[in-house]
Amino acid sequence: MTGRKDALCIQYVQQNKWGEYLKISQNNGIPIYKQIADAFRSDILSGKFKQGEYLPSIRELARDLRISVITTMKAYEQLEAEGLVTASQGKGFYVNAQDSEMLKEQHLRKVEEALVSAIEAAKIAGMSEAELIDTLKTLISMSILP
Amino acid sequence: MDQSYVINATNIKKHFKNFTLDVPEFKLPEGFATALIGENGAGKTTLLNILTGIRLDYEGQIRYFDKYSETDLNNIPDVKERIGYTGTDNYYLPHWTVGQIEDISSILFDRFHPDKFRKYCNDLAMFGPAGFDKSKKVNALSDGTKTKLMLANVLARDTDLLIMDEPASPLDPLMRDKLCELIREYINSGENKTVFFSTHNISDMESVTDYAIIMEQGKIVEQGFVEDLKEKYIVVKGEKEDIEKVRPILYTMSQSNYGFEGICLSEDLDKLAGLDIVTETPSLFKISVNVMKKNSLIK
Repeated sequence: MTGRKDALCIQYVQQNKWGEYLKISQNNGIPIYKQIADAFRSDILSGKFKQGEYLPSIRELARDLRISVITTMKAYEQLEAEGLVTASQGKGFYVNAQDSEMLKEQHLRKVEEALVSAIEAAKIAGMSEAELIDTLKTLISMSILP
Repeated sequence: MDQSYVINATNIKKHFKNFTLDVPEFKLPEGFATALIGENGAGKTTLLNILTGIRLDYEGQIRYFDKYSETDLNNIPDVKERIGYTGTDNYYLPHWTVGQIEDISSILFDRFHPDKFRKYCNDLAMFGPAGFDKSKKVNALSDGTKTKLMLANVLARDTDLLIMDEPASPLDPLMRDKLCELIREYINSGENKTVFFSTHNISDMESVTDYAIIMEQGKIVEQGFVEDLKEKYIVVKGEKEDIEKVRPILYTMSQSNYGFEGICLSEDLDKLAGLDIVTETPSLFKISVNVMKKNSLIK
């Protein structure tokens, strides 16, 4: 009888594993999938999750966090789009190599994307090339100031 | 990711005197929980009864698990073994006892586990502190307990697809929470477990709903993964003086003495630029109510 009770206890602890790891708020204005992605992102970048390690399965995480499967899936898909994890058919999502070169590459890509949208907005606003470059220079000088 | 579907139905039609069910295409995504939402009389139960083979007088084709036809549903035992169903009406005879239901289920289904059945009956506290009581008669059970009995029975089988018609309605808030937990457990018990349920209790079931299908007057008027629907629509609130400007742009709107609140298609949000508005992500409840409102006969 005690054996059975122990088994139930272990099951109970395991069931709450990811609920303990990750506290989500239903009404702080930040979408739940973002809260999940943010938590995993910082732990992947800080090395808590090692390269090749699998994230919890989407259905397991959904059960523990008491949210829908599609929400956890969206969080993982966001991490995948950021290049942090890779989906493996039938096995779930594993953590990619997080070498500094790749992180730099990711940030360069972000910079390019942001600049492209700035150029597009400048076109609509009728700004000249010189004006756009001036604005960028001004912004850089402002952001360097304390 | 390629999505597969456990039910693929085409050109489903059923005519009644004052009502026509007309569903050109129906797909149930595998591995997810799907909610069927709609007003009273929208055709939810008719659709569920057709898909579960309870109603046979309809037009159209249905494929189950990508290999079985609608006639296979009644001829090949494997299909029925893999599908579990709970209805709104209690389908046990009133004078049956719980013990008899256990025996009958064992005869009807190869993959029915009496031990699991008793475990669920106890977990759901159906018989109070005394525990499992096989002599209890169905007609002595409350509506909520009858629903619990159907749930315990269906969960005691090894199935791949659970179809439930209004499972939350007769249940109390605590038990609705438990129902969500049971659905999550079921979905997590394998890679390809699928749940399909109709509900009016959208808020209670939102935390377990992956895909939503909204019906109005016999037709599917909106469907999609909940996270996608939450991006497709956006809640907009604003000032009274802007009401006439936003009216043609918003999907639905209600106004008060102080201002307006409505739902806008996200793609139309640009058209509201310059107005003093607040936006927020809608809940599934809000999306459903507004889609229903848009398509309803209710004035």
